[in-house]
Amino acid sequence: MAESPTDVLLKGDSGRNTRGLLRFIILATIAAAAVSSRLFSVIRFESIIHEFDPWFNFRATKYLVQNGFYSFWDWFDDRTWHPLGRVTGGTLYPGLMVTSGVIYHVLRFLTFPVDIRNICVLLAPGFSGLTALAMYFLTCEVSPSPSAGLLAAAFMGIVPGYISRSVAGSYDNEAIAIFLLVFTFFLWIKAIKNGSIMWGALAALFYGYMVSAWGGYVFITNLIPLHVFVLLCMGRYSSRVYISYTTWYALGTLASMQIPFVGFLPIRNSDHMSALGVFGLLQLVAFADFVRGFVPGKHFQRLLTTMVILVFGIAFLGLVLLSVSGVIAPWSGRFYSLWDTGYAKIHIPIIASVSEHQPTAWPAFFFDLNFLIWLFPAGVYMCFRDLKDEHVFVIIYSVLASYFAGVMVRLMLTLTPIVCVASALALSSILDTYVFASNGPNPRSKANDDTPSEGLRSARKPEVGITSYLSKAFMLTSVVIYLILFVAHCTWVTSNAYSSPSVVLASRMPDGSQHIIDDYREAYYWLRQNTEHNAKIMSWWDYGYQIGGMADRPTLVDNNTWNNTHIATVGKAMSSREEVSYPILRQHDVDYVLVVFGGLLGYSGDDINKFLWMVRIAEGIWPDEVSERDYFTARGEYRVDDGATPTMRNSLMYKMSYYNYNSLFQPGQAVDRVRGTKLPMEGPQLSTLEEAFTSENWIIRIYKVKDLDNLGRDHGNAMAFDKGHKRKRATKRKGPRVLRTE
Amino acid sequence: MRPFTALSALCGLFLSASSFVGADSTTSPSRVALPRDFKPPQVFKNANLVRTSNLEKGYLRETVNVVVENVDTQPQSDYYLSFPSDLYDKVGALEVRDKTAPENGRFDVEATEFSPGSDFQYFIVHLPKPLAPSSQITLGISYAVLNSLRPRPAAISQNDRQFLAHSFSAYAPSAYTTVTQKTKLKLPSTSVPDYTTTDLTSGPDPQRQGTTYTYGPYDTANVAPGTFYPINIRYEFTKPVITASLLERDLEVSHWGGNLATEERYWLRNNGSKLTDNFSRVEWTISSYQQLPSSSIRELKYPLKPGSVDPYFTDDIGNVSTSHYRPGKVPNREGSLEIRPRYPIFGSWNYSFRIGWNNDLSAFLRRAVTGADSYVLRVPFIEGPKVAEGIQYEKVVVRVVLPEGARNVQYETLEKSSSNGLPSASQIHSHISSYKTFMDTLGRTTLTLTVEGLTDEARDSQLLLTYDYSLWDSLRKPVTITAGLLTVFVAAWAVGNIDVSIKKR
Repeated sequence: MAESPTDVLLKGDSGRNTRGLLRFIILATIAAAAVSSRLFSVIRFESIIHEFDPWFNFRATKYLVQNGFYSFWDWFDDRTWHPLGRVTGGTLYPGLMVTSGVIYHVLRFLTFPVDIRNICVLLAPGFSGLTALAMYFLTCEVSPSPSAGLLAAAFMGIVPGYISRSVAGSYDNEAIAIFLLVFTFFLWIKAIKNGSIMWGALAALFYGYMVSAWGGYVFITNLIPLHVFVLLCMGRYSSRVYISYTTWYALGTLASMQIPFVGFLPIRNSDHMSALGVFGLLQLVAFADFVRGFVPGKHFQRLLTTMVILVFGIAFLGLVLLSVSGVIAPWSGRFYSLWDTGYAKIHIPIIASVSEHQPTAWPAFFFDLNFLIWLFPAGVYMCFRDLKDEHVFVIIYSVLASYFAGVMVRLMLTLTPIVCVASALALSSILDTYVFASNGPNPRSKANDDTPSEGLRSARKPEVGITSYLSKAFMLTSVVIYLILFVAHCTWVTSNAYSSPSVVLASRMPDGSQHIIDDYREAYYWLRQNTEHNAKIMSWWDYGYQIGGMADRPTLVDNNTWNNTHIATVGKAMSSREEVSYPILRQHDVDYVLVVFGGLLGYSGDDINKFLWMVRIAEGIWPDEVSERDYFTARGEYRVDDGATPTMRNSLMYKMSYYNYNSLFQPGQAVDRVRGTKLPMEGPQLSTLEEAFTSENWIIRIYKVKDLDNLGRDHGNAMAFDKGHKRKRATKRKGPRVLRTE
Repeated sequence: MRPFTALSALCGLFLSASSFVGADSTTSPSRVALPRDFKPPQVFKNANLVRTSNLEKGYLRETVNVVVENVDTQPQSDYYLSFPSDLYDKVGALEVRDKTAPENGRFDVEATEFSPGSDFQYFIVHLPKPLAPSSQITLGISYAVLNSLRPRPAAISQNDRQFLAHSFSAYAPSAYTTVTQKTKLKLPSTSVPDYTTTDLTSGPDPQRQGTTYTYGPYDTANVAPGTFYPINIRYEFTKPVITASLLERDLEVSHWGGNLATEERYWLRNNGSKLTDNFSRVEWTISSYQQLPSSSIRELKYPLKPGSVDPYFTDDIGNVSTSHYRPGKVPNREGSLEIRPRYPIFGSWNYSFRIGWNNDLSAFLRRAVTGADSYVLRVPFIEGPKVAEGIQYEKVVVRVVLPEGARNVQYETLEKSSSNGLPSASQIHSHISSYKTFMDTLGRTTLTLTVEGLTDEARDSQLLLTYDYSLWDSLRKPVTITAGLLTVFVAAWAVGNIDVSIKKR
């Protein structure tokens, strides 16, 4: 056969180079696609930090950049959780902030005047490009097919399940953690395949980085030991397993203990015990393996049985004793809710109140993964066909992550990488089968004469496969259609569901142009510019981080929900009568109270709709004073109109939401557009608070807490007096008249 | 330690040869120290003095035309201008000219150190030619007084009308005896609820004519200089009193991009009456629907030069979506940037923001006729929003960032026959430094000008800059970056060639 120019490019040494270059270009394109598909919100809105938690991370990063690493490490923040404050440096995962801090300083070193905000906004897309690369490496370790890695990288780049947490502006721990997760797993598989200390140490290093970045590191801490354990049970002990696991565990644990927030947890917390246990078990197995070389078979059997029973008994006893004595911490509440989805709702309402802790709805799987979800089982099945160590890993990961993703919405994130791996395995196998296997006299086998090194494999096996062009074409077309649908779906989901900053709301004007509803920032900026620097703001905890970040004012509670009582105090102040709430506000130095009200605009995520959680959380601490039942009508309805219960109508939250709202309408015509009800004729009266600011669309309402009355009256009386209600004065006049001598 | 910077700095130095910019050349406003209890020598007499106080804007703008006569036996050249101590620091944009020949330019004016014990503080006007004994000169003195108008009542409710109070002395403060004088007040409206009436003249005092109130003329030949006769006037001003406590204005010149980038950072405050009750959204919605006048800043219109592109309007927490830009047209239709703050700014409220835009450099820069490598840059000193109620700037910092390697920087402000709203050159603090950005090696030459006490009358003033900039300077950066990258590649290649394996070869 004459050598055509393409042959020169595709065969032999230059062929390898060409393929390498192609692969590099494809990967670069995938990374670019991954980055660019996450930029919807920047293009549509602006470079802005999204949602709630990212605002805290952003604020912490700014602190790190301004004050340096050591003062960040020792940061005591007196502007959150007033009056408690927060030892922020010791209670966060610093990986994210340090990463952006390093990037910032490198760029500054190269004298690029880049704003730290832009680094924070674009960190997640940037790392998603890296995740695609890491996914390529991981899949290449699992599959011999060269196309699987590229497919997996492409899937990972644009799959909505991952995009949901990594769009531009979503500056959260997950932004870098998923990259670290995938890359650690890649290194781990590399280590266990080669039995190499270097790869094991690298895996430990990245595991340490992961620990510093995200609380989800526990997933790795349990998955790798489980992998090793399963390998042991399958009788696949080898020095490779021993070397890689011991290296990873020893170095990784030490690395993880450097993070103050983790500290001694790896040896004291139940979540980490499996890793320690497998470490011990591995030593025993290694020892047994060693002994087997010296002892005859029969003796060895007896020795082994005794040893196993003895060690197991001692370990179990020790574990029970340590748990009972409290040296090992019991399982955390969030952990229990992983096994029993009803647990949180009963015991910890505050965990249940977070929407991302809810169990996943079935459609969410298709929404987040599209056609990958039905390729996924096929991919897992493919792993069984060729069950090497790394395939065992994929199977374990798939099973565990599937379960967790079903329990909690946010854990969809950990499922996504393995779905990409498995479906890339399945799809690449389909493609390989249909594209490469050819019909009749094989042109490739002729080419094999020239390159005997490649010919060996095909020469060994007779050519089997699909030979009909029709079925090839049919299969390829359908795969291409599925892929196109997948891309369209991902783009649509990203654009519509995951690219809203939620700080800024977008709507359409009648002429189709975009209208931006910017009430949050309007009110926060008002607070920032026109209140005292130390004015304490009370709001429901959802807005704590945003107030800290955008308004730069101290808050009572924020999204870091470790202190249930403090949050319940705020819940109680919101859900009680003014007479009860006012002392609480005074005791906590509250200057302003901020509520979110969507009634005018029909914005459903407002505080009245969240109100029942406040009541529930308050009830958890003060069951005698707050009762959820009182907020429902006799027929069990949650109403805000004329039928609302007195408790509801007298609660501070209700009053603050609807105060003065009537005056915007004709008398008796006030409508709440979220609840879709007419409001009572008479609006609520406030005596201990005064309206300080209301944003343009009434989404944010800020109230100022009145100071104590000058004359020592309570505010109710003072208000009545000011309004000219004569009754009080008349009763007073009945007393003996006193001559004023001034 | 810092290999890249060190390297690039080295390359830069190597290439720049002799383009060393004087690291620091600073001029501060000079102030003359006067002895304690200084009294200006009584060598002049004000034959006639007419003071015009313009109150149509949110600050006081005064013009004093005075006929000065030398009563000494020697020719005299130093005329002392006196101000009450509480106003002295608020005086801005002071300018003195010969009224009969304004095109001859302004006289040199020097400020004096503030002396704490004295009731009056002085500026010294240096007449260009000493005034011969018993000859006369007519001085036209103009200045603005910032933050001197007080809102009375100090707190009003949201839809109330706002009133400002202006207090002054019927006798214009002067260091010299004044024979006759009068004061004209130009008010923004006819709604003047309170004003002082005097019996210093035979007729009614003040005389009213529309919105103009005239106190005097008084015959004050026997009144000692510095006598205080209090006059208060309170007039309606239902507009915001817009005050920028600081304006930072950056102009960045790029020869490569042919671009002049402007960024301005404002710290605004409304000095009007506070709100008695808190802000009510309901009332605000109704009153803005009816377009009632308000004492709050609702919107600022910012005219931009023709050809301005890419405007932005942001504040500390991101883009402010409530702005519009109507682009202008080259050559002469101005663009208009309509800035609407996030919330209406009522009395004592603050709002800080930044705006910026780009212009084609060719409209502002040209080669000087004197030398091939010499350039002349002509830019507005300040621009700022154009509003009827005026804006007062307490402090303005203008920073002109010239290309890397520019040297021999000289500047001047353009003078016209009438006031350009800027104080004399000696009151402008200038400073030359270097500013490193975007992979600079030497840093860009930066001229910083600081002025205190400006008003929006300085909008039309122009700043003229000349500097030298050679072809070598423009090529420095590409060459440096190329050299830097080459070094990195060579280093990588060298490191890659080192065999670190522990295998036996």
